[in-house]
Amino acid sequence: MTYFVIFLGICFMLGVLAVASNPSPYYGVVGLVVASVMGCGWLVSLGVSFVSLALFLVYLGGMLVVFVYSVSLAADPYPEAWGDWRVVGYGLGFVLVVWMGVVLGGLVDFWKVGVVTVDGGGVSFARLDFSGVAVFYSCGVGLFLVAGWGLLLALFVVLELVRGLSRGAIRAV
Amino acid sequence: MSPLHFSFYSAFTFSSLGLAFHRTHLISALLCLESMMLSMFIPLSIWPVENQTPSFALVPILMLAFSACEAGTGLAMLVASARTHGSDHLHNLNLLQC
Repeated sequence: MTYFVIFLGICFMLGVLAVASNPSPYYGVVGLVVASVMGCGWLVSLGVSFVSLALFLVYLGGMLVVFVYSVSLAADPYPEAWGDWRVVGYGLGFVLVVWMGVVLGGLVDFWKVGVVTVDGGGVSFARLDFSGVAVFYSCGVGLFLVAGWGLLLALFVVLELVRGLSRGAIRAV
Repeated sequence: MSPLHFSFYSAFTFSSLGLAFHRTHLISALLCLESMMLSMFIPLSIWPVENQTPSFALVPILMLAFSACEAGTGLAMLVASARTHGSDHLHNLNLLQC
């Protein structure tokens, strides 16, 4: 189980590397979806199932929108996958930077393999993240209202930005 | 630092490096921002499990809401700059060229 969790963590890291190594946006979206699915599996294996479910649903919707945008607005005649040399060069450069930081800093103790996790027992226990998120409706209602207000504000920001060429916030000169 | 901590630290470093260096498309930079958000979301939601603090579990949900705001605004700016500049290549947005 420990090695499985570590495998999910490594796959998460590789998915983020696939986004960061500057491929075409179609493939970058695929890398981000891989990273989010691996992150959801990682959270489930640590026992944070509700937060993982929220992340998965938000990312499914968000990545659908982002994929449509990237197909419609970033049309390349020759899209670059990860096999191109420039993308491979970016990826190897980033790996080199992180590896040098780890080696020079002496950061990772790879012999201490372990996962800190939790599990509930019985029906009468509420899992940790379920009871935690429920705080939104009792003590943390201020945060809840702030988040809702932020989303409403983002709606008006988006409407103002994309309003049109003559009246919007960004216009052609 | 355990290997799990190493994986999300290095994921954050990868995506911030990818944001810092040259991107072809604006939406690719937005994807790097999203992956930075994802690699901050994972440790924020692991932290209450490691420390047995249930009331901290609302912080990743709160950050997910604000990152949805950020993604929506980023996509709106993508549409606006694609209208004004004709494409979404980042070298069209470079202020240093004459």
